[in-house]
Amino acid sequence: MTSARDEILQRLRGGRSTGPCSAPPPLPTPRLRAHLSQPIAREQLVATFRGQLAQVGARAEVVARADLAARVAALLTDAEAHNIACSDAPLVRDALASLPASIETLPPDAARERLLACDTGISSAQWAVAETGTLVLASAHERHRLCSLLPDRYLALVPMSRLVGHLGDVFSRLHEPSASPTSRAITFVTGPSRTADIELQLVVGVHGPKDVAVLLVDDL
Amino acid sequence: MTPPDEAHPNAFAQQARDALQDEVLTGALRRATDLFGERRRAAIATVPDWQELREHARKVKAHTLAQLDHYLERFAANATAAGATVHWARDGDEACAIVTRIAAERSASRLVKSKSMATEEIGLNEALAARAREPVETDLGEWIIQLAGETPSHIIVPAIHKTRQQIGRLFVDKLGIPPTDDPDALAAAARTRLRAHFAAADLGISGVNFGVAETGTILILENEGNARMTTTLPKTHVAVMGIEKVIPRFDDLEVFLRLLPRSGTGQHLTTYQSLLTGTDPGGEGPDELHIVLLDNGRAKIAVDRVMRETLACIRCGACLNACPVYQSVGGHAYGSVYPGPIGAILTPQLQGLEQAAALPFASTLCGACKDVCPVAIDIPSLLLELRRRAVDGTPGQRPVRLRRSERIAFGLWSWFARGPRRFRFAARLARIAQRVPLLSRLLPPLSAWTRTRELPTAEGRAFRDRRRGGNR
Repeated sequence: MTSARDEILQRLRGGRSTGPCSAPPPLPTPRLRAHLSQPIAREQLVATFRGQLAQVGARAEVVARADLAARVAALLTDAEAHNIACSDAPLVRDALASLPASIETLPPDAARERLLACDTGISSAQWAVAETGTLVLASAHERHRLCSLLPDRYLALVPMSRLVGHLGDVFSRLHEPSASPTSRAITFVTGPSRTADIELQLVVGVHGPKDVAVLLVDDL
Repeated sequence: MTPPDEAHPNAFAQQARDALQDEVLTGALRRATDLFGERRRAAIATVPDWQELREHARKVKAHTLAQLDHYLERFAANATAAGATVHWARDGDEACAIVTRIAAERSASRLVKSKSMATEEIGLNEALAARAREPVETDLGEWIIQLAGETPSHIIVPAIHKTRQQIGRLFVDKLGIPPTDDPDALAAAARTRLRAHFAAADLGISGVNFGVAETGTILILENEGNARMTTTLPKTHVAVMGIEKVIPRFDDLEVFLRLLPRSGTGQHLTTYQSLLTGTDPGGEGPDELHIVLLDNGRAKIAVDRVMRETLACIRCGACLNACPVYQSVGGHAYGSVYPGPIGAILTPQLQGLEQAAALPFASTLCGACKDVCPVAIDIPSLLLELRRRAVDGTPGQRPVRLRRSERIAFGLWSWFARGPRRFRFAARLARIAQRVPLLSRLLPPLSAWTRTRELPTAEGRAFRDRRRGGNR
């Protein structure tokens, strides 16, 4: 009896009886990259990124590296955060240095029930894309799949040098053969969780975070 | 209106008439299709080379579908190398059996599921329910539909046919929440309830938007975050993927990510994209990833050179929103999981032409679907080809019987159109006939046409006569 695999492949080969076909002809290369790769001024990138985030109901601000811990502490205190799910990024550890003792922090490997009960999640991101207001989370670099998803509020800390213009800039970096091992889970996040399933009315935070903020950390 | 579980593609005409009587449905459809149409236009206006992108995507899909065997083998090999287990399913029953077995072998009884057309196509929920393992739908719209025991009426907004009041009453009945019709409160109730399901789930089921041959990566797009939950929290993730979802290269994703959300909801990007490559030992995700590659009639379409294009569809829903027929009657009238123009070409091919021969005729051939399609599928030509096959029959399929009146009308038309002299004679007859006052309105059964339309008037002189020159 032939396996389902062989039978499906056989069906696809149709009349062709020569077995697996040879290498495919090269595809036309997307011409996107050529006209997208012009360098964009930093101020322009930041403005575009903030504008895109505003469109989807999120926000971004620029903060100096030296002020990061104080700014994060102020944001969390204002938001009345009690328990925070944290990624394992060094930037996150540094940013939480000035946290009041009343705020509890949980590492990525904390018990699921406790992570599910956190009100805030904090992580870094490997890239931010100005064109769409998107954060790119790559699992080979950081454990941030859960802390960026489960809590109501999500705060992302992104080094300014990781802000790029276009999606294509990220795709080429994600896939450079020389880059560190390809991440098994790459997540693109653009603003808060949303739905329009009830009478097309926008509701945020139906499953993921309803509040998303980005701190662009000026690391120069 | 017709209960959806009794709906059938070949009962389109009756189901469409029923749908037109439903004011809630027709009003909601008009709002949804108008809104998505507007948003789509605004979103693509920001992409200067939209037509080039479409053309590129079409070429990538055509190239891949022409050697799908090659790319599927690569996809399976690379996914396996990354730690995924790849299963092959000839049809829906085999796919359901595979998923059921995976769940049974792991004693998984608490299943969660994110939105997937392929699993609806194969009736996976029913198959799992028969083994007491029915998954909880976690997309808000799909969950509402599941609680109500109904079927989706729109690809992107499954519960578009329900009002907030109806959903409020449903939640009061099924969940025991205090009465409300506020979408925020209803979504909050759903969040709380579905959180409990996610926390307890031991197996998550998802669909797949794209599978990358080069890396074995699967990509899932969404807005709510329920697909991220489904593919991260349970120990086992099962992804059901139609074999046509394969694309060659990782970099090709960029093109499709520019096309799909803009065409579907008018977003530049959906809120979340998950790009999952095998398993991540020691990571936060599931221990196991199973990918079920589903044929279920697709291979047959892939080797049909004329119809192959059908499989290029990326399920954005733009053709539904643009279609004047869909805008009026909605998804249930089609009696199939895939409604609208794409459903009218896909369903007859997946289920067999005799099972859904009415659908290719449920179109005005206006071409709006082709204009908005992000991969430029020539849906009108494919509809015509399916009509031809339905009428002429194909090897192994008898011709579909037309109504007597249609046979006579089309028989007359084809006789008159077969030669210039006959055609001229017919035109002269028409010019004479329209001078008879009574004949400006057609007689039954053709009067159905003139009840709401003017019969076009023939010119006093035929174009061919005028072209020959000389005034009469």
